[in-house]
Amino acid sequence: MSSLVLDALVALPALGALLAAAVPASGHRLVWFSLGLSTVVLGLSIGAWVAVVDSGPGFHFESDASWIEPIGVRWTLGLDSLSAPLVVVTALLSWCCLVSLVRRAPDCGGSRQLAALVLLIEAGSIGTFVALDLIVFFVFFELVLIPMWFVIADWGDSHDAEGRRRAATRFLVVTVVGSALVLVAFLLLRSETGSFDLTVVADRVRRIDHGRQVAIAALLLVGFGAKVPVWPLHFWLPDAHSKAPTVGSVLLAGVLLKLGTYGLLRFWYDVVPAGALEVAPYLGGLGVVGIVYGALACLAQPDLKRMVAYSSIGHMGFVALAISTMTPQGLLAANFANVAHGAITGLLFFLVGGLKDRLGGTTFDTIGRGLYGRAPRLAALFAVAAMASLGLPGLAGFWGEMLTMLAAFSPNPALPQTTYLVLMALAGLGVVLTTGYFVVAVRRICQGVGPGDSLSDVASDEWLAWAPLVLVTVGLGVAPMAMLWSADGGASLVSAVLSR
Amino acid sequence: MPILYPLVVSSLLFATGTYVVMARRHAVLVLMGVELMLNAVNLNLVTFDAYWHDSLDSGQVLALFTIAIAAAEIGLGLAIVLLVFRSRSSINVDELRELADRDEAPTA
Amino acid sequence: MTALLVVALPLLGAAVALVGGHRRRLVAPAAACVSCGAAWVCSLLVAAAHLGDAAPAVVGPYVIGTGGIPLQASLYVDQLSASMLLLATTVAVLVQIYSVAYLRGDPRYPSYAALVSIFTASMALVVVADDLFVLLVGWEAMGACSYFLISHHWELEEARAGAVKAFVMTRLGDVGLLFGIFVAGDAAGSYRITDVVQAASSGGIGRTQATAATLLLLCGIVGKSAQFPLHSWLPDAMPGPTPISALIHAATMVAAGVYLLARLLPLFMLSATTMTVLAVIAAVTMLGGALMALAADDLKRVLAWSTVSQLAYMFAALSIGGYSAGVLHLLSHGAFKALLFLAAGSVIHAVGSQRLDSMGGLRSSMPVTFATMTVGFAALAGLPPFVGFFSKDAVLGVAGEAAFHGDAQARAWLVLVVGLVVEVLTAAYATRAWLMMFFGRRRSDVARAEPHESPWFMSGPLLVLAILSTLGGVAVVRPGFLGVAPEPFHAATALVSLLAVAVGVAFSASEWWRLDGHDPSRRLGPLRPALAAELGYDRALMSAVLSPVRVAMRTVVASESDVVEPYARGVGTGASWANRFLRWLHNGDLQRYVTAIVFGAVAVAVVVGIVQ
Repeated sequence: MSSLVLDALVALPALGALLAAAVPASGHRLVWFSLGLSTVVLGLSIGAWVAVVDSGPGFHFESDASWIEPIGVRWTLGLDSLSAPLVVVTALLSWCCLVSLVRRAPDCGGSRQLAALVLLIEAGSIGTFVALDLIVFFVFFELVLIPMWFVIADWGDSHDAEGRRRAATRFLVVTVVGSALVLVAFLLLRSETGSFDLTVVADRVRRIDHGRQVAIAALLLVGFGAKVPVWPLHFWLPDAHSKAPTVGSVLLAGVLLKLGTYGLLRFWYDVVPAGALEVAPYLGGLGVVGIVYGALACLAQPDLKRMVAYSSIGHMGFVALAISTMTPQGLLAANFANVAHGAITGLLFFLVGGLKDRLGGTTFDTIGRGLYGRAPRLAALFAVAAMASLGLPGLAGFWGEMLTMLAAFSPNPALPQTTYLVLMALAGLGVVLTTGYFVVAVRRICQGVGPGDSLSDVASDEWLAWAPLVLVTVGLGVAPMAMLWSADGGASLVSAVLSR
Repeated sequence: MPILYPLVVSSLLFATGTYVVMARRHAVLVLMGVELMLNAVNLNLVTFDAYWHDSLDSGQVLALFTIAIAAAEIGLGLAIVLLVFRSRSSINVDELRELADRDEAPTA
Repeated sequence: MTALLVVALPLLGAAVALVGGHRRRLVAPAAACVSCGAAWVCSLLVAAAHLGDAAPAVVGPYVIGTGGIPLQASLYVDQLSASMLLLATTVAVLVQIYSVAYLRGDPRYPSYAALVSIFTASMALVVVADDLFVLLVGWEAMGACSYFLISHHWELEEARAGAVKAFVMTRLGDVGLLFGIFVAGDAAGSYRITDVVQAASSGGIGRTQATAATLLLLCGIVGKSAQFPLHSWLPDAMPGPTPISALIHAATMVAAGVYLLARLLPLFMLSATTMTVLAVIAAVTMLGGALMALAADDLKRVLAWSTVSQLAYMFAALSIGGYSAGVLHLLSHGAFKALLFLAAGSVIHAVGSQRLDSMGGLRSSMPVTFATMTVGFAALAGLPPFVGFFSKDAVLGVAGEAAFHGDAQARAWLVLVVGLVVEVLTAAYATRAWLMMFFGRRRSDVARAEPHESPWFMSGPLLVLAILSTLGGVAVVRPGFLGVAPEPFHAATALVSLLAVAVGVAFSASEWWRLDGHDPSRRLGPLRPALAAELGYDRALMSAVLSPVRVAMRTVVASESDVVEPYARGVGTGASWANRFLRWLHNGDLQRYVTAIVFGAVAVAVVVGIVQ
């Protein structure tokens, strides 16, 4: 059955980006236009997700057309319960970003170009999530980088033009090097199986020599690991975040990092599980190092935005640990943690951005103490987001972390059990450290006696942009089954893959 | 005739040409060295053509092609030598360092 | 489904208080009191149906797949949870009413009321949850509410510090709890408490697994219930508003650890190791807590240390398998300690200070507070006919029984002897605080002119709790409603413990007279300053924990700036060095190029020749 839903999900924002960039109309009207378009995409993606949940495991809304026939590349798209939530998160975060652009033009102007770039990132990310052809996947994977480079380099920290260029370039170089390795892995797969089609490759992969499978899994690990980022390939992230504009940070943390984890999930679990089993403990170890390392780095940060950036490294460490368990449970956990991190860290970056708008900077000294008194609602939202991020049960962050540790408690039988017990315990230590730095941050900025100025509290457009994320955070925390059920289908697909 | 004779001759020719290119400073002599090397290759081509009894005589064809290219090349080369000589009244290749990638102005 | 309402109603109240509380002055108090009151009514309905030997009510399960053992969201109300539910909602509703007057005019009242409501819902969830993960949700949500409420006065340094400490320390324990849940669920094949208990009683869980699971669970319990070695957060949590201390840090949240242990007692009974560890922890904590309470200068710290010590009493009972004794003491302690804290709040409200030596002679100016607090102290000290006497007697009776006839005699003797010593100390510090507050001369340096009785909104709840503390003894002697075997009155231990109480009271009272109305704890001599400084435990613990973290933190920062950053930059530097090297090679000398080419070709030919 061929369906145009996914083509529309990719094409609408892409066309919108072209229009917003090319049509000579007033910037403001075009931002509104982009927002409308992204609302349509959001509605469509939610509908698609619901449909996928209803129809069970396997790919749905498949679309297949010829593209570059001589080398066997076909335009195949499909949505399953692994990718559907990520598509929704992408659409949601883009929508929130566009809402935040409607009233608040960036300092340096160009809000319609920025809106166009946001739409382009949305198109590329959704394309990556729904691609079922290795080359289509790769094209979209790369496509996202370029608009993000512009977002960071042109709309980034206005005080430090050179620094933002350097951060943007570093981000670009590291992730391009990573994706080059991914391309090598794809070409290896093609040469061994004779196809670029994901499902065909997954079927034929057992014919591949075991050593080659391990090599492919390792290449994918390093390639996607640079994007996730897995420690020690994380060094581009804090700089990119601290120099990026709010919109950039939100999309970077909420969407771009997920491209890496999604890639690992998709290709390790569905394509080269046997090879991945050999490499998985390394990913788990690096993930846990990332958790503890990120938390310790957070404790020492003098800058709130950098702190949130480092906390991303820790959360992505949890996702990495979940992926490395190579169990259906790990897949569920990783997917849940992906979505939860997208919503929570997106919210945190929005809040930090709100503070930056009001105070002109994000260091603890610039923000000052006593936000509870100076801007009570903003501070309360920050406290809630911090609680969610530190994994308080009842909010979304907990289930991802809990399921991750549960998966690490009983990893795939082919993996070293004791190692994973140690990893689980260290992850638990990371949870405590995470709690530590978030409550210290709350104490540092929300509590205490402030300078006595009164900041403008959360404005109505900010409520509109942030409320969906708060709702997702609380909703998924109270009713985790919303995600668990939908992903269960994916898990059964994967368990079939793992058991063969 | 054993194949060894022409091959030895061609090797000697090539070695002589190489030596000239490497050791002599006069640009015209360097060009002559290049010619010697080309002709050594031509000799090889013809030799192997005859040795293998190639039905298309591709070795001979390629040798003719090389001679034509060499003629063009020597014309161009001598023209360059002339231009260089005119502009700096010396054609010592040691002193022609303009192709080096330097930040400072060329010394010669 | 009524049980679900107990959880849902306070949440609704919280939402209303948060949304409307800052617009209209009456919205927040009304929402808070009405929602908690409605929850109380619901819990009364639930409890009435499930006290005695009625069958437990089960809601659910609502199965949630996790790819492994599924979560089964379900509620379970039996006698234990019904009585706990009743305790929690009763104290909660009284505290809500009390807070209306206590925090009158406080601009932060709406968020405070909302947090108390959320807390009530979380506690109710812990009590009725039948799935360990659902329980964990409530458990940690309580911790977060506690964190926010301790830092209610966030402009005070010690409130901020206490909140952070409380939260981080309990979460440290909670990680253990989480892992304990993993192990227990793995061993029992289900995360439902009923299934775990079932498996434990039917021998479905091995001894090793049980020991691992219970020791891990114990971490969380010790953290939440402020037992040694994670006890020091509770006294530091006292800068929070006093009603909070009554609700969270005396009656409910800290008792949740005891509740969980009682709930999972069959699992814990499988492991003698864990029970011994528990008995030792309980003995150390109850003795230490009572000593600290004897020396503390701050009224709320006295009560906090007393809570630590009394919680240990419950753990001591449970460690020798005294299920009903432990639970009874939990319930009675909930009533009289909430009473004590609320009355202390009333005193602090009137005097404007928490220091014991700034009080005195309050008997006449605050008659209601005096009368109710006297009941509270009498119950705490274990005087008949108040509830504390009976519940402590139950604990000591079980210990005596086990010491003479049981099979774990060492443990039982430890509990019995330390328990009696603590009886003496408890009576001593209760008498000391009582005398210093209400008798003697009024201190002239007190800021407020004339302490006066608190409004009815505050003294009403005190009276209710005082009645409960007085009449509760009846229920304790006939605890059939708990579905447990009635505790026979232990005449022998009762006599010994009465003697112990008398010694304690006599000590404080005689020193009081001897020192002419000065602090009786001066008698402790050089021990007193050490105890008042809490033996330096906290500082030692903090430096032992924080300094490695600081070192690790510095290492990370250094590695970030000296290792990671350089290798990121190193890529760029490396490229530019390569560039320079290649430029140096290209010096423009054609003949050198040719030479390089010739030698390179020869080298390649030689290498190929050798390789083939």
